[in-house]
Formats: sequence, C-alpha cells, structure tokens
Amino acid sequence: MSIMSYNGGTVVAMAGKECVAIASDKRFGIQYSTVSMDYPKVFEMGPHLFLGLAGLATDVQTVSQRLKFRLNLYELQENRHIKPKTFSSMVSNLLYERRFGPYFIEPIIAGLDPKTHEPFISVMDLIGQPCISTDFAVIGTANEQLYGMCETLWQPNLEPNDLFETISQALMNAFDRDAYSGWGAVVYIIEKDKVTVKELKTRMD
Amino acid sequence: MLALATRNEDELLKETRAITENATIPSGISSIAIPPYSDPKEFLAQYNKPDSAVSIKFNRGTTTLAFKYQGGVIVAVDSRATGGAYIASQTVKKVIEINPYLLGTMAGGAADCQFWERVLSKHCRIYELRNKERISVAGASKILANMVYSYKNMGLSMGTMIAGWDKRGPGLYYVGDDGTRVTNNIFSVGSGSTYAYGVLDSEYKWDLNDTEAYELGRRAIYHATHRDAMSGGMVRIYHMKSTGWVKISEEDVTDLYYRYKAQEAVAAQ
Amino acid sequence: MECVIGIVGKDFILVASDTNQAHSIVIMKQDDDKLFKINPRGAMLVTGEPGDKVNFAEYIQRNLQLYKMINGYDLSTNAAANYARRELATSLRSRDPYHVNMLIAGHDDHDGASLYFMDYLSSLVKLPFAIHGYGSYFGLSICDKYYKHDMNETEALNLLNKIIAEIQKRLLVQLPSFHVRVINKEGIRDLPTIYAKYQPDQSVRHESMEL
Repeated sequence: MSIMSYNGGTVVAMAGKECVAIASDKRFGIQYSTVSMDYPKVFEMGPHLFLGLAGLATDVQTVSQRLKFRLNLYELQENRHIKPKTFSSMVSNLLYERRFGPYFIEPIIAGLDPKTHEPFISVMDLIGQPCISTDFAVIGTANEQLYGMCETLWQPNLEPNDLFETISQALMNAFDRDAYSGWGAVVYIIEKDKVTVKELKTRMD
Repeated sequence: MLALATRNEDELLKETRAITENATIPSGISSIAIPPYSDPKEFLAQYNKPDSAVSIKFNRGTTTLAFKYQGGVIVAVDSRATGGAYIASQTVKKVIEINPYLLGTMAGGAADCQFWERVLSKHCRIYELRNKERISVAGASKILANMVYSYKNMGLSMGTMIAGWDKRGPGLYYVGDDGTRVTNNIFSVGSGSTYAYGVLDSEYKWDLNDTEAYELGRRAIYHATHRDAMSGGMVRIYHMKSTGWVKISEEDVTDLYYRYKAQEAVAAQ
Repeated sequence: MECVIGIVGKDFILVASDTNQAHSIVIMKQDDDKLFKINPRGAMLVTGEPGDKVNFAEYIQRNLQLYKMINGYDLSTNAAANYARRELATSLRSRDPYHVNMLIAGHDDHDGASLYFMDYLSSLVKLPFAIHGYGSYFGLSICDKYYKHDMNETEALNLLNKIIAEIQKRLLVQLPSFHVRVINKEGIRDLPTIYAKYQPDQSVRHESMEL
C-alpha cells in the first residue's frame, strides 16, 4: 500500500485558448473507507492562479498552507501579483527543502500570467522537479487513466466552454475506473476576466 | 492480469513445466492439479506482491448479503471487481445461479467462487438424478464446504453464501475458504459487509413484506457501495421463493443515489 | 478498538465516547473519559496510543487555556482545530510522533456548531457526522441513511443509539458503555450513559446443522 494513495484523490489541469482549467475530485478516504465527500484538492492562490495537490491529505493541507504563507509574504514584499512561473519555482523550492524526508504530494500549478494572460501549467514530482507543460498535466491515484483520457480528448486552442467539457469528461471517466477517487468533482475555468467554478454530478460509489 | 517484467522467460517456462509434470490429479470430485511445492499459499503470495517480477492481482473487494424473512430469502450484491485500486469491471455477476432452487454469492477470488459453485451444481444435479428429489440447502452447502476444506491452506479465497429452498423451507448458509459452514438469518460478506450490516440490522424484521425486504437489501448494498471504495456498480437483487429464485432488479448505484437524494429533498419539505 | 462518535444537529453537537481503557488483553479502566474540554463550549474526543493521548490532549488543552488568559477570548472551533492540526503535523515529522486520532467539536458565535475529524496523520476534515475507530465501519452507513440536517436533540440521540446498538451487536470487541454529551451555546452537558442492550435472541432455534 503506497503512502501516495492512502487518502486517494486526483487532479488534472488543461490549457486552452487564452484560458486554463484545473479540476479535482472530492474524496477524502482512509484506504478503502470513504470519510468525506467534500474535500477538493484545488486551492485558489490568486486571482488567476490555482494550485492542485494530490497525495497524502495531511501534506496536501500542510503544503497548501505553507505555500499560501510564502505567497502572502512575497506579494507583500513585491506589492504585485506573483507570476505562475515564479510561483512554480516557489513550490519547487519548498518541496526540495524536504529532499530527504519529502511531503508525499505532487503539485499542479495552473494559471494565467498576471500581465500577458498567457496560460501556464506546470507539474512536479514530490521533491520538486518541475515540468512545464503546454497541453495538460495529471496527478493522483487516477493519473494513468487520466493520461489516456487527456491524450485522446485534448486538442489545442479550446475555447473556455469546450475546455470545461473536455476536462470534465477526462476527469470523470478517469476516476470512474479508480477506486480511490471520485465522489464529486470541482472544475475551475480561469479566463482573463473571470474564473468559473463548477461542481460536477458524478457517480457516488 | 499477469505482468512479466525482468524475469527470464526460460526460467519461468521451466518452472511451469515442473509444476504441470509433477501435478497429481486428486480422485473424486474434480481434477485440480495439486501443486508440487509444500506451501502453495506462500508460493502464490510471493507473486502477489506488487514489486515482484511476476505480479498477479486477483480481483477482490465486494459487498454481498442475504437474509431470510417470512417470504423466503433475499440475496443482494454489488457488481464491482477491483485489481488493486483499478476498477476492472462494474458489471460483474456476483450471484451464481447454481440451479433453479439454489443461488450462490461471490466474494473473494472470483475464479474460486465461480469454479467451485459450478462443480457444486454438477453434484446437485447428480444427486437429483440418483435420488429423484432435489438436494437440501444444508446438503448442497455441505458438499461445497467439504470440497473447499480439502483444499484448505492452499490459498483458495472465497466467502460465499448458499441460499435455497427445500422441504424445510428457506435455507441460508455461509461457506468460507477455511471450511467454515454456518447457517443464520442474516449474512453479509465482503469488504463492504460492515456497512451493509449497519443498515441491515437497523431495519431487519422477520415479518418484512416482499417490497420492504427488496428495499432493505437494496439500501444495504447501496450504502455499502457509497462508503466502501472497493464496492460499487450495480445492485442486483434476487428473491428465493418456494417456487425457486426470481431476479427482482438490477439498478445502477448512480441512479439510486440521485433517486434517494431527490426523495430526501421531498421528505424534508 | 476505541470508538468516539460525533453528530452535528441544529445548533448543537452530540458526542459519545466508549469508556474502555485497554492495555494488551486487559481492560484497565471501565469508566475512562476520552473527552477533553478545550473551552466552555468546545471539546476534543481523543483516541490512540495510551501515553500520547493524554499528553497531546492536555498540551493542546493547556495552550488553548493560555491563549484565553493572554487574549481574553477563546479560539473559535475552527481555529482550535487548526491549531491542534499544526501541532500534530509538526510532531508527525519528528523522531517520535504522537499517535492520536480526535474529533474536535465546539460551538462558537461565528460558525455555530461544528465538528472536525482528525486522524493521527493530522488530516483535518469538517464533517456533519464522524466516527473514529472500528465503529466507523458499522456506524457510517447508518449515519448516511438516517442523518438529516438540523436534527433536534431527540432525533440525534435516536441516531446515536442506533449506531451504538450496531457496534455493540456486531463489533467483535465489546464496548459495553458510552459517555454521551451535548455541546451547544450553553456549554457542555452530560446525558445519561448508554449501556449495551443487545442480547442474542435465544428464542430463535436454528435448524439442525445435521444432514
């Protein structure tokens, strides 16, 4: 039994045309047993910046809180919003600080550049090796299924509505083949002038 | 699911040949090869580890239940098969129709349950032809218990319930892979069984009418699929009557979830 | 083997904890109290490693008391839960981590009645009902079936009785009694202890196992 799948959960992000989307399931379980069905793993870090964390739930909480703290300090110091790319480095640094006793999570950073509004997606392993991606990124217990879904459904330059449809279908069909994730899902569509949050109606078993 | 990784193919072939050549066929009930090594359970277990070069993941994880009541026996099961965290199927038939008066349920190793209950159906048929009457539920379940007992500690994995109707009326037995055989009014087997028991015990009465009994079985399985990650898919309900079994329903858990949710919303108003 | 239960009702939380304190195969104490008050209308119900349990719970309890003395007001339930989580999460990556699970229940003016579930890894979740221990395997499905929002005290107590009856009927480890409390705006109030009622029905004679 891997520590990364002790609590279950899965996150996916996709880039579209002048927009990005990030989505997660809502399960919090302790191995086979589902404890909560209201446990999203996507965190709002800024007006155009979102962080998704999958892995051990306690570290999801610790890392999201510590990152929020560092981000607040950064933005107070710099008096401007952070760029997704800079934030990605911040996440990477925080994770590598624990190189020899890592946080058991993998992060996805999805957002738009505060000035240019260029889509940005990056994903890392648990000790902070970043990988900037131009299409999509997947993490969590359903990551294998998600790769399959994303490889077939994703296409370049999707409009926000199509991106929502694509990411929702990818996520739902992926976690329907994974026992450790599901039980509701939440999708964020990030555009230049608005962020749309949608809850998905999913299987509950 | 068999994954071959770093292991030398010749070596594997040699090993397989050794197993088959030395195999002995037991007299009587069937022809299962007895493995030539001393502890089959341990031998198999080493290939069940996820990091082993040869990694076999058996399908496991289930919720099944059966209970006797005034109108006969209700058998209700889910339909999910998992190999590790992967959901291999959502449409598995976990009720095995042994004959028109006997049903078996499937928990643990799918192949073990299916195979031994198939063998059981052969024995029941032979009994009928020899004795010109149907076998009792007690008798049928004992044949199964004896068969699996003879393979005890060889790694069989099954938790099965045998439900039927005979001269004594409704019958219900649990037969386990360790050779246990017990009868009771209520049984639930599988990873989600505790959740099912919770619902079952809170509502169960001998005097349930048919509709209430179906709904109780359905609710118990449904709630188990909701909390147990390894159970899910569909809820199948069977009713064992004096005239033999009838299939009552097959419903997707998702339909049930949103139906119950709508009902709760109406009730709250 | 221990079991603590929490159910959120309309403006209150009903909490129950089993009363066994076991060591190895011996029951050392039959009227153990797993509840630790954190403020006049908030409490933790703690299970886990015997030494760690009291040590950690009292550490949190005393620090919350100190907070009140310094600042003149209590931490909200949410803040107290997050404080306990941080302490446990810090300990998690030390040489000898605390091994404790807990429910944190409290009433405050901002959130009303709230209930938090935290396991020994310090994963914190807010829930409408929660059970720690093997009891959860039997109780959660009962909660799913009977729980309603804004239940009154009688309704919540009915649900609690159902859960405890099932645990006492099906769980191999016998938990003969449970302390029961209501936490609301007025404070923490004791309700009568729930004792095991389940007796196997001896009137039912099962048919002979002989062929």
